[in-house]
Amino acid sequence: MKGVPWHLPGLPESEARGSEAGRTAAGASFRAPALSREDAGAVADEVRAAALEARASLPAARVIEAVAAAAGRLADPSDPAGEEAASVLSEDLGWPAALAEETLAGMGRSWTEDALGRVVQRELGGTAVLEGWTGGGGALPGRRRRASGPPLLFVVHAGNVPGVAVTAAIRGLLVRSGVLSRAAGSEPGLLAGFARALTAEEPALGRSLATTWWPADAGEAAWEVWVKRSGKVVVYGGEEAVRGVRARVPGHTDLVAYGPRVGVAVALPDAAPGHAAAALAGDVCAYEQQGCVSPRLAYAVGRDPLELGRRLSEALEEEVGRLPRPEPDDATAVAIRSARAEAEFAGLAGRSVHVLGGEDLSWTVVVGGEDPLLTLGLPRLVRVHGAGSVEELGRTLAPLEGRIQTVGYAGRRGLPALADLAARLGACRIAPLGEVAWPPADWLHDGRPQLLPLLRWTEWE
Amino acid sequence: MERRERLTALAAELEERFSAWGRDPEPWPDALFDELALRAFELQFEHVPVYREYCRRRGADPASVGGWRSIPPVPTAAFREVELTVAAPGPDDLVFRTSGTTRGGRRRGTHRVTRPDLYRAALRPPFARFVLGGAPAVAAAGARGGGRPARGGGGTGTEPARPFRIGSLVTPFEAAPDSSLSFMCGDVLGAFGASGSRHLAGEGGPDAGAALAFAEGCAADGVAACLLATTLGLDAWLRELEADEASVRLPAGSVIMDTGGAKGREGLEREDVLRRARAVLGIPPDRVVNELGMTELLSQRYGRGAGQPLLEGPPWLRTRVLDPGTLEPVTEGEPGVLCHVDLANAGSAVAVLTEDLGRMRGGGLEWVGRSPGAPPRGCSLATAELLEARGAGG
Repeated sequence: MKGVPWHLPGLPESEARGSEAGRTAAGASFRAPALSREDAGAVADEVRAAALEARASLPAARVIEAVAAAAGRLADPSDPAGEEAASVLSEDLGWPAALAEETLAGMGRSWTEDALGRVVQRELGGTAVLEGWTGGGGALPGRRRRASGPPLLFVVHAGNVPGVAVTAAIRGLLVRSGVLSRAAGSEPGLLAGFARALTAEEPALGRSLATTWWPADAGEAAWEVWVKRSGKVVVYGGEEAVRGVRARVPGHTDLVAYGPRVGVAVALPDAAPGHAAAALAGDVCAYEQQGCVSPRLAYAVGRDPLELGRRLSEALEEEVGRLPRPEPDDATAVAIRSARAEAEFAGLAGRSVHVLGGEDLSWTVVVGGEDPLLTLGLPRLVRVHGAGSVEELGRTLAPLEGRIQTVGYAGRRGLPALADLAARLGACRIAPLGEVAWPPADWLHDGRPQLLPLLRWTEWE
Repeated sequence: MERRERLTALAAELEERFSAWGRDPEPWPDALFDELALRAFELQFEHVPVYREYCRRRGADPASVGGWRSIPPVPTAAFREVELTVAAPGPDDLVFRTSGTTRGGRRRGTHRVTRPDLYRAALRPPFARFVLGGAPAVAAAGARGGGRPARGGGGTGTEPARPFRIGSLVTPFEAAPDSSLSFMCGDVLGAFGASGSRHLAGEGGPDAGAALAFAEGCAADGVAACLLATTLGLDAWLRELEADEASVRLPAGSVIMDTGGAKGREGLEREDVLRRARAVLGIPPDRVVNELGMTELLSQRYGRGAGQPLLEGPPWLRTRVLDPGTLEPVTEGEPGVLCHVDLANAGSAVAVLTEDLGRMRGGGLEWVGRSPGAPPRGCSLATAELLEARGAGG
């Protein structure tokens, strides 16, 4: 794979250490240092010292500026760092270059100085509370507050959508923590590239971030030392990964878990079919249906689901022309064929199921079927069902309560009822189709603020 | 000719040819395989409406399909949705179901077998040749068999010599009437087993004590044993014997047939199973034969020894390795998805596209494993988690 997939301040000779062998999502092999207990401790010491040094020497505004500058380079294809980032993503995930660049550009919109400033402003009312005592009057008479993240924050990734690791590290740096990150083996290189760009921009911040990877069944020393030394642990991943990390974190250490969720799309009765389909196609292709926001299930409310399915097919075909899909690996191709065959034969047997999709597996739309919640998480595969009304849709989606990340919508008729339904189901967000894949920088990720869960507050009475 | 008569005529010819191969295992000419495969395809095209429509959508019909490679294969997923049979269902049909373990809680596949004698005729000669080493004469379909007593089915073969005492650690057919493996094990036990052959499992799985007594009996009597088991069941039994520090030296020539493979099963490596078989039973790896069979196919392949053995099969089963993305053939050595044309499936679907991955190597077939489904990636809710959520919420 391209680039070194780790960045370990405090371990200058990391390349000479023993190494762990991994494979990315696309099967590219890579190696990362095998960390001994002493190594893990040395990295934690260095990152902690650098974070405290940065805290003392750099104003929060400068942190935002430096972080945005470094991350912005990753999202800029004309910058060597951006070129390398797109190349790393492309190789790690087997994605066409255009898809990697579009993903970085999309993520980059939430990494700008303006966007990061908005997050700090929305959640903390500005940077002052991170730099000293605030309050003492107005809403808090006689009391003052200040806040910061713990000196060390341990962030664990287990197979996330690309770019999330960078976003997670940025959140830690914004709250002035040193960040230790265990990257996902599927895509370990992007965060290391960010760390190098950050080092060039502001060396003290570059040393405040460490990232590496180790296999699921190894790395015991690093697990133990990094969990023990960190004030909070953050995990992004599937059910099993979250459970595994939870089991390692002692009761007195905060765990912030971003678990798996699903996205759904809804075309309301008055939605313009062409527009709804085009917007949905864009959201479907953005993360190859791997993101928690990715809409894998679509519902046509008060309208013909087959019509929506046909329009979506046309839109996906167009989208494939604009954004070529990654070549599926064997297992994925077999799974797509299996899903298609099952639906096609159900249709041939007289059940109301239609399969739309070309022979090359670029995209698949399955309309109808007995189970309106069946979803397989396959790239560019969407299931479309009909629902007589928003109320009926509510009954259908009830089992997914608490598991829905985003409800995407098109049309206005019945929108307030749909919004209420989304809230009842505990969905984190309801957004127009076309914007589902790219939430605003200051969104409520998994239904909660981004920075507040990372902070420790001190109040002076 | 009516469809049942046409099927009967084709099945009778196939049974005869299968038995003839059992007596004289010569390869079949391409032209013969093509002719028989196309006859089966034509029957299925004409009399299985769902399949006919599936073919038409792909521009295929008997006029355009010129050889076995062009027959549109039925994906195994189709067996989860429809029953594909040329003949109308009858009281003597065997109805096999897939285990349904590889796809979470999804529907199980069904394979209705309207010609049980054709199945018997297809499974016995390859078992005799590849597992028993061709020693016994092959029993004809009508001869004493297991599973369910054969009806009619004229036996043209000679009554076999029975040098092996067969013990089956697979759940008997009576307790698992929808398992094609149970049927097969019962059938070969009845057809080829010497006196003392018996089932060593009940509804709850292998009976370790009975299996040990069986092995000790073979050793004491000096009769070669043939043990039939799933790889998983065999491993469990051998581990139990190991834990009890029990061992038996089975007589020379004894053989084990394991099925199901070990790849992908957590903590189970076939090499370990072979090592245990040698340590506990004295069976060397080259006397352990791995069987590759599936509910959707009535013929089997067999591979002998350690590693990923090359799988051999009868001449009425041909397999292509295809690129899962394009369904074009891959080159020798490249992995791909397996597509079988099995003449024993004349009554259902002669061409089957599986979800198994394999590769051709040195003219033989190497099974790589069952495709695990799309690897879970990202923070999107996985299928199993979704099912769990629905279980909790709904």
